Amino acid sequence: MACHFCDSLHDVELIEEGQTAYCNTCGSILYANKPQSLERAFAFGLTGVLFLLGMLFLPFITMEAQGNNLTTSAGETVIRLWLTGGPIISVAVAIFIFILPFFQLASLIYLCLPLLSGRAFPGMVPVTKLMQGLQSWVMVEVFFLGTLVSLLKLIKLADITLGLGFWSMVGLMLSLAAAVGGIDKLELWDRIEVAYRRRKTPDVSVEGGVEC
Amino acid sequence: MLASAREKNKVSCHTCGRINPLEKASCLRCHTPLHSRKKNSVQRCLALSLASIIAYIPANIWPIMIVTNLGRTEESTILAGVATFWQMKAYPVAITIFIASVMIPALKLLALGWLCALSAGWIETNPRRANRIFWLTELVGRWSMVDVFVVAILVALVQLGNIMSIAPGTAAVSFGLMVILTMLAALSFEPRVIWDNARQSASS
Ligand SMILES: [Zn+2]
Ligand SMILES: [Zn+2]
Repeated sequence: MACHFCDSLHDVELIEEGQTAYCNTCGSILYANKPQSLERAFAFGLTGVLFLLGMLFLPFITMEAQGNNLTTSAGETVIRLWLTGGPIISVAVAIFIFILPFFQLASLIYLCLPLLSGRAFPGMVPVTKLMQGLQSWVMVEVFFLGTLVSLLKLIKLADITLGLGFWSMVGLMLSLAAAVGGIDKLELWDRIEVAYRRRKTPDVSVEGGVEC
Repeated sequence: MLASAREKNKVSCHTCGRINPLEKASCLRCHTPLHSRKKNSVQRCLALSLASIIAYIPANIWPIMIVTNLGRTEESTILAGVATFWQMKAYPVAITIFIASVMIPALKLLALGWLCALSAGWIETNPRRANRIFWLTELVGRWSMVDVFVVAILVALVQLGNIMSIAPGTAAVSFGLMVILTMLAALSFEPRVIWDNARQSASS
């Protein structure tokens, strides 16, 4: 196996669950054997979807100022932003906070569900690529920090109550971290390869053994 | 220093990690096109960094928010926002915004320029240090988006008719663009070239 940072070629050594192998040359993480990675990713992926729905529709923030009372969900917040003159920002928020996290969770579930019983669904290779490519673009935790900063500004103007939608966002942030952080990339690809070989489809061609 | 996969006539797949023969055009396991080294990484990274510098300047000069309070309109830049929090004695918030919005983008652009100079061979350093800096650059880049999200939330929520309303300023879009461009610049960078240079100078 080769290091992604410095391209050093290493012999594969089996490491125990929960252990991490580091590159001898540059010290980056080479491979981490994560226990029950697929089961965990599947479970946290499902909870993540529930939290995402909660964040979209449940009341996020209630504001009360000078007789005005406003309760919005995060989904409504994006629509309000569109209407009040920030269409580009509103689309960006929707993409980084709802759409990309949704695709990431959906692809996790699509991959883990059949692989847990060793089966293959069509298109697993592009779905895995999508999931890996989305990683730097899902920004729920950055949005969380942004919410905290805005609350400090809003507290001066109005009485603020945080609703279930806010806590769903916290839940979504944690489930995403647990699901994606718990994925064992090598195990995932090995399982995909094995599942496809079992189905004998030409989608994945294997020449020789599993040489990593 | 271990020999690189390329020196052994191998190429590792960036998507699935499988080791392929160097002459293969796509991965034997996942069919992703294989590149032993990303093509023109220095040119691409420099071009994207330059573009983000161009976006960084208006992002800091133009107003990021326009606050209308009882008919009085006030434009506020990122730095003015930091100053307001500082005057409110909300020091942790002021420092967080300053670091995320001003320091991280500037340091990131400096780091990318330095890394490009390293891979082009204009300067030399311990490659392990370069590796750590690159890893940090990839890690922190997205956090700069926090200011765009703050503007988004404030604009959506503070619409109290004649009393007070907030509109997004032109800097909000250029700021978001700048963050995306620096993230793309980091993605197009190829750290393995720095190690190729180090291997070459170690063997000669
Ligand atoms: Zn390495
Ligand atoms: Zn591959």
